[in-house]
Amino acid sequence: MTPLVELTGISKSFVGVKVLDHVDFDVRPGEVHALLGENGAGKSTLIKIIAGVHAADEGEIRIGGEAMKFANPGQAVKAGIAIVYQELLLFPELSVAENIFLNHAPRTGWGGLDWAEMRRKARALLDDLESHHLDVDTKVGSLSVANRQRIEIAKALSQNARVVIMDEPTASLAEGDVQQLMTIIRRLRERGVGIVYVSHKLPEIFALADRVTVLRDGHYVGTKDIKEVTERSLVAMMVGRSIDQLFPKEDAPIGKVLLELRGVSHGKQVRDVSLTLRAGEILGIAGLVGSGRTETALTIFGITPATAGTILIDGKPVQISSPQQARDLGIAYVPEDRGLQGLVRPQTIAENISLTVLKKLARGFIVDRGKEDSLARDFIKRLGIRARGPGQAARQLSGGNQQKVVLAKWLAAEPRILIMDEPTRGIDVGAKSEIHALMSKLAQNGLAILMISSELPEVLGMSDRVLVMNGGRIVAEIARKDATPETVGAAMTLVQEREAAA
Amino acid sequence: MSAAWKNLLLRHETILGVLLVITLIVLAFQSDRFFTADNLLNQGRLMAEVGLVALAMTFVIVTGGIDLSVGSILGLVAILLGVFWQKLGLPLPLAMMLGIVVGGVAGLVNGLIITRFGVPPLIATLATLALYRGLAEGISQARSVRGYPDWFFMLGQGEFLGVPVQLWIFGLCAVIAAVILGLSTFGRATYAIGSNAVAARFSGLSVDRSLLLIYTASGLIAGLAAVIFVSRVSTTRSDMGTGLELDVITAVVLGGTSIFGGRGTIIGTLLGLGLMQALKNGLALAGVKGDGTIVVIGAVLIGTILISNIFRKDADG
Repeated sequence: MTPLVELTGISKSFVGVKVLDHVDFDVRPGEVHALLGENGAGKSTLIKIIAGVHAADEGEIRIGGEAMKFANPGQAVKAGIAIVYQELLLFPELSVAENIFLNHAPRTGWGGLDWAEMRRKARALLDDLESHHLDVDTKVGSLSVANRQRIEIAKALSQNARVVIMDEPTASLAEGDVQQLMTIIRRLRERGVGIVYVSHKLPEIFALADRVTVLRDGHYVGTKDIKEVTERSLVAMMVGRSIDQLFPKEDAPIGKVLLELRGVSHGKQVRDVSLTLRAGEILGIAGLVGSGRTETALTIFGITPATAGTILIDGKPVQISSPQQARDLGIAYVPEDRGLQGLVRPQTIAENISLTVLKKLARGFIVDRGKEDSLARDFIKRLGIRARGPGQAARQLSGGNQQKVVLAKWLAAEPRILIMDEPTRGIDVGAKSEIHALMSKLAQNGLAILMISSELPEVLGMSDRVLVMNGGRIVAEIARKDATPETVGAAMTLVQEREAAA
Repeated sequence: MSAAWKNLLLRHETILGVLLVITLIVLAFQSDRFFTADNLLNQGRLMAEVGLVALAMTFVIVTGGIDLSVGSILGLVAILLGVFWQKLGLPLPLAMMLGIVVGGVAGLVNGLIITRFGVPPLIATLATLALYRGLAEGISQARSVRGYPDWFFMLGQGEFLGVPVQLWIFGLCAVIAAVILGLSTFGRATYAIGSNAVAARFSGLSVDRSLLLIYTASGLIAGLAAVIFVSRVSTTRSDMGTGLELDVITAVVLGGTSIFGGRGTIIGTLLGLGLMQALKNGLALAGVKGDGTIVVIGAVLIGTILISNIFRKDADG
């Protein structure tokens, strides 16, 4: 049977970083092909290449056996490829029917829109997806995520899609909706549509997929029939490398408790979180995107102050309602989104590093440029930042060096508690291990480190203890010796009992 | 040529400075009345109010914001100055102080609308532009106030050591503004907020407090400009300062301050102001009609910014 889509030897680089390296992938008619990998493994880039959003640097794409090159997403749509993105791309102010037929609405003889036909066709498509309850005239903005997703699928079918790509379709769905979505996907499969299913959630993959392809760090690891694999072997394929070598965590003397959270909540994202963090300790927090890890960090750091519970520092309860207060209490936060939250990209390295300590660097209210400069030089040497000098603009640095500048900025404030959110996301392997070595050294110097990471090997390799979050709560605490990809992965993907209120 | 020299030469301020000198020379040849001490000092006198407001506006625009209400604040304070003095019978110095304070409060209100309710500055100050002007007109009932005592005209019409008094005030404010924006911790925070407000907040800077201070200062200085304006023209009318915001913003943007925030200097603003005023006056003396002058200023604005962008791209290369 000819595959609907066949990719061979696909490579792609962004600004010199190879994100896909000779990857093979294919989709056959009437199958669900799951695409698996950690964050940053290259899944999104691969599906964007199939959908014509990015062009591959190397390799071949065949559609129904014919070699093709897509110059833009429109051509991919014409070739029968539709993509349902995680962040649904619908127009909230337009009706269901208008959204489905945007761009290819049925026309009347004189070129106007044929509304009756459009509504009739939309109705038929939705009925086909067992969505009899959806009114084609409702504005999309008023619909739930699950319903919007159906509209996206209906839109794909209206364009005669033979391949539907779904990027983390269940990331923000409630359990009941997940079951219905699976029913819809199975119907599509029966009709001969090929489905690419990207998800972190292993139980869904075992329930749905016919085949699985695993990517790791942009490399093709393998394609297996679902019957050949177990949850264990899949995780092993995803994680792959020997953890101990890569992560130079050295033992550090663990001291007294510096930070304690007792039943801290913020809205629905952080629910009743309690934890302790000791001097010299690296405490890892694992969990899926949206599990409440970053939100917990933001609550500790005062961006989204706690609405309930107590935060204690050195055993004393404190109020943290702004990042200034957090900084003055000795808390530092190296954020997840380096470009947006971490760096002032047009400013120089020196100006970035001094941001947290402007007051200390000033004589009167005038910034002491000499001191600022020597502070920057100091950190450039200490952290091995590769730059022309303190006066270089931060945006000109590579990802790893930018991350070091953000770290330097916070180390300049001489914190006692350091929160690192995705400390090595999107940086190359060399810089990665340098940052890991730095973290070890900082812990040895008595800093308490709270590390949030989506990379399981990093969590397992660096942490003294691992907390697993799921649905805004801490669902497991695992000691270093018991932490394995299986134990942590299981806690991460465990489907939570949904609360009645949710 | 070393990189540092090249950078200095290609700076927007340098380009602008060269342009200003060329403009002065050309205009001097066009009219023999242009390049005289009397004329230049008189132009300085006319420029001082726009200039004062432009100093604060530079801060506002460096944060990525805008303050369209400054002209209306000027009108409101001018009217209130007359009302406080003539209707309420307050001593004139107190009326002047109160007027300036009202300007500050008007600016603070702008700041509160922007920071507390997250209204974009363009919209917030567009609304207060109408609001403050409406208040000014309502309070004045289309009557003007005259008959100020002679000492009051010192501020807008007098001279000190041969230089108009308001130029001394403007010079002092310009130095203070340049030091704050260029050298102080507050200035550093202002640039950081304009380049990336989220990162500034995540670095522990008090973004909202800085913005409040800047918009308040913008109102205060518009109030000060109002008092000088009234003193210069010897009368109070409710339409004073109409359209002032556009002159101010033109000067600041001509001076190289990025409307997207994060970049700009007081020196640039001063050069922009100088260039604008020189063109206005010089072209008028050379016999160019008013609408012709506006066309030239518009063309110069687009031209300088294009040139500056071309050089910047090269420098980034």
